[in-house]
Amino acid sequence: MSFWRRKKREAELYEEVRSHLEMAKRERVERGDTAKDAERAARREFGNIELVKDVTRGAWGWRWLEEFVEDARYGLRRMRKSPGFTAIAVLTLALGIGANSAIFSLVNGILLSSLPYVNPEQLVRLTGAYPKGAIVAMREQVNTMDVGAYDEGQELNLTGFGQPVRLTGTLVSAELFSILGARPELGRTFYPGEDVPGQDNFVILSHALWEQRFGSDATILGRSIELGGVSRQVIGVMPADFRFPSTKTQVWIPLHNDPRNAVNFWAGDFMPGIGRLRPGSTMQQAQTEIRMFQSHVGALFPWPMPASWNANASVVRLQNGMVAEVRARLLILLGAVALVLMIACSNVANLTLSRAATREKEISIRSALGAGRQRITRQLLTESVLQALFGGLLGLAFAKEGLILLKAVLPADTPRLDEVRMDWHVLVFTGTLATLTGIVFGLAPALHSARAALTEALKSGGRGTAVSVSQRLRRSLAIAQVALAVLLVIAAGLMIRSFWALSHVNPGFRAEHVLTARITPNESFCSDPMRCLAFYRNVVDQAQAFPGTSGVALVNTLPLGGRVSKRSLDVENYDLPPGEDSPLFWLNVVTPEYFRVMGISLLSGRGFTDSDVSGAPVAVVTAETARRFWPNQSAIGKHIRLLDDKDWRTVVGVIPDVRAYDLQRNAPEWIGGTAYVPYNATATLEDRRIPSEMTIAIRTASDDSEIAMMLRNSVAALNHEVPVSEVKTMNAVVSEAVATPASTTALLAVFAALALVLGTIGIYGVLSFLVSNRTREIGVRMALGAQRGDVLRSVMGEGAKLSLAGIALGMAGAFAVMRVLSGELYGVGATDPLTFCGVAILVAFVALVACYVPARRAMRVDPVVALRYE
Amino acid sequence: MAEKKERYQNRIELLQGTLDLLILQTLQWGAQHGYGISVAIRNRSGELLQVDTGSLYPALHRLEKQKWIAAEWRISENNQRAKFYRLTAAGKKQLSKERSRWSQLSDAIAGVLNPEQR
Repeated sequence: MSFWRRKKREAELYEEVRSHLEMAKRERVERGDTAKDAERAARREFGNIELVKDVTRGAWGWRWLEEFVEDARYGLRRMRKSPGFTAIAVLTLALGIGANSAIFSLVNGILLSSLPYVNPEQLVRLTGAYPKGAIVAMREQVNTMDVGAYDEGQELNLTGFGQPVRLTGTLVSAELFSILGARPELGRTFYPGEDVPGQDNFVILSHALWEQRFGSDATILGRSIELGGVSRQVIGVMPADFRFPSTKTQVWIPLHNDPRNAVNFWAGDFMPGIGRLRPGSTMQQAQTEIRMFQSHVGALFPWPMPASWNANASVVRLQNGMVAEVRARLLILLGAVALVLMIACSNVANLTLSRAATREKEISIRSALGAGRQRITRQLLTESVLQALFGGLLGLAFAKEGLILLKAVLPADTPRLDEVRMDWHVLVFTGTLATLTGIVFGLAPALHSARAALTEALKSGGRGTAVSVSQRLRRSLAIAQVALAVLLVIAAGLMIRSFWALSHVNPGFRAEHVLTARITPNESFCSDPMRCLAFYRNVVDQAQAFPGTSGVALVNTLPLGGRVSKRSLDVENYDLPPGEDSPLFWLNVVTPEYFRVMGISLLSGRGFTDSDVSGAPVAVVTAETARRFWPNQSAIGKHIRLLDDKDWRTVVGVIPDVRAYDLQRNAPEWIGGTAYVPYNATATLEDRRIPSEMTIAIRTASDDSEIAMMLRNSVAALNHEVPVSEVKTMNAVVSEAVATPASTTALLAVFAALALVLGTIGIYGVLSFLVSNRTREIGVRMALGAQRGDVLRSVMGEGAKLSLAGIALGMAGAFAVMRVLSGELYGVGATDPLTFCGVAILVAFVALVACYVPARRAMRVDPVVALRYE
Repeated sequence: MAEKKERYQNRIELLQGTLDLLILQTLQWGAQHGYGISVAIRNRSGELLQVDTGSLYPALHRLEKQKWIAAEWRISENNQRAKFYRLTAAGKKQLSKERSRWSQLSDAIAGVLNPEQR
């Protein structure tokens, strides 16, 4: 009902009542009463005018709205009148709500919001890994969906445009763009068929690369650029918001589907598939069809495929497939901030309760003037919801800043991170959350006050049941707060312990004072092994002359560098389990200096020498590998052979395990062993070529940036087409390897600290209230001879009871739920007793300090003053 | 005192059906204002029924909302502006419905109170 209609109705009601009174009065006057008596009698007969009007308005049916506006106005007035309380409550809520809004923004942007493609619900990811041949077969045979594939992380040199640079490209099947429904910003995307030899010399640029490298020049379309030694025509530029499969991709290049090259076609890179469900097809049908396909695709291969290959292949929504690895972490953070908000809620509920004690009179009067219990509850709830909404508003401001911080703290490779922003979903979430928060923390105090209003009415200084109910409620809230805080602090404690363990892992190498850089000629340059080896030898020689350098080495895969070089090996006298091929090794190709430069010690035997490069073929293995293939005997003198080689290599040394894959694992599960061989013409990888992408490691006492510049200059002088990329210290490589746990740990620690502070305030508040409530009693006790120590003990005892109950409850809760963390933990169990006990002691200590302040105040109560009080 | 409003509401509930019937019946003889209705009920009941204003006005406004009665501002016989209520067609139907329900109810109560007359 509109405002002016309500006004009019209100005026009419007034008029109606007035005319009633007027007529009653006139009748009495006509019967002979004096005007004054008549008026009084008419009014008496009529009753409480305001109340009559009030219940009449009730019949209009929209009274609640009016009352809400009244309540809101009144609530605002009250908030203005007690700015201190309001500030604390709003700030507490803002912290809780803001943390939730910020984390929800992440969850929304990463997990919930649809992918920015046409009809994203039709897009699926095939979780298996398929070679090109299988993808081509699938494209022809599958009916429920259009199928494409992409292979991310291909590295290519862009040469001929100023300094050579290393680009990250994604190989895509020609249909990929049309499956996604993505349109280019300029030019076109690939046409069907543009992924076969002879018709695939095209490239599509990312917006960022186009801007940085080509100055946003539209005439680049149709021109050819040199990528990895191959000339490719630029046919399109994708818009800035197209980031498939991730922001790393700078160029999209067609897959090279060449059935005549059987090895590449059936054994080259294995990649995930992507599909768009055709109209009328369901996920279930697609799933069934993929299972069917999997059952007969093996027959197409030129060699038998193990049954384990893609045994669990399934179809998942593309969105879920892209963010699977961050989901758990985000949900843990969301759980943590939800706990913080719960603590904030009970904190403010406690504050409100203690204020309710001072408001008892006001509420009694309201009740005496005709306010019903429901009405009082509603009014008090409106006040708390208002507070919560202000908290939400301030929380949004916090969240906005917090989100910027979050984005900085989270690892840069977090999928979809750049899509995260505060959109209207976040606003709606925050508004709803704030309203709910207001109801949650306001309900208990409001119900309680309304009940008190009825029972206690206008009796002053009531010490009846209402107060003891309130005390019980306050105590439970304090216990809950401590319990929740304990839960969060334990979570953070476990993460910190895990992180500590992770960062104190012995990686098997010494990261200090080592500078690394990738030096990557085109693959074609290394098709002549001698030319390639000579080039690298020159690079190493020049680097050795840099000032402060004490050693230079090359390796194909740097530990923790994110790359694995797999190679099938034969092990002499090793009986293959039936049905298994030669074990897959991680083959490190290194120069002789490598172990010394990286600080990798020797367990037995010797490292490589310069004579090994040209002499008899040799290898070094890791301790784990030696144990696996030659248990209970020395590996030295044993023989291994790269698959298809004719010469056996003699194992000459064993080194300790190196945490090469990540800080928890030496190698991925599918790797059977790790071997090192000297870099020479026989050190071939799976494609039977020597590695052409080497990383240089320089042990140096000099300034890193100076060495980096000298390195760039000397490489450019040797070959101006070879880029130097990923220049970073080994320390940086290591810290990147712990970036993900570091960010999760840091965030959980912040939330836990917040929870601890709020929980402590809760305990403090309850005890303070208790002490001020018992001032008189304490005074009496002291007058009767109680010692100060007794008083202190009594109050501290009360606090200890609350804290211990909270701690016990929190530990029990943690014991039950910490399992959700176990996926994120390293080197510490989810119910690690040390962490549990440590947190219990920490929280107990903090709570004790919080208790001590009000306890001391109680101790100093002057009996004379206390007895006069009230 | 504290529960005054609730008392009112209780009485409205208690009287609701009856009061509505009385109001509708009163208006059958012509449009009337609130004061006139209360006087009429009092007089016709031989001063037995005193209609509380806190029940009367909410009832009038509720009946108006249900479109059983309609209101308009008119000048009363004493030359005073007053809000007159009159029965609508729907109100007439409602009246006969309520009357028959009332007679059923009073018959039933009478039967319970005086079983031997049956």
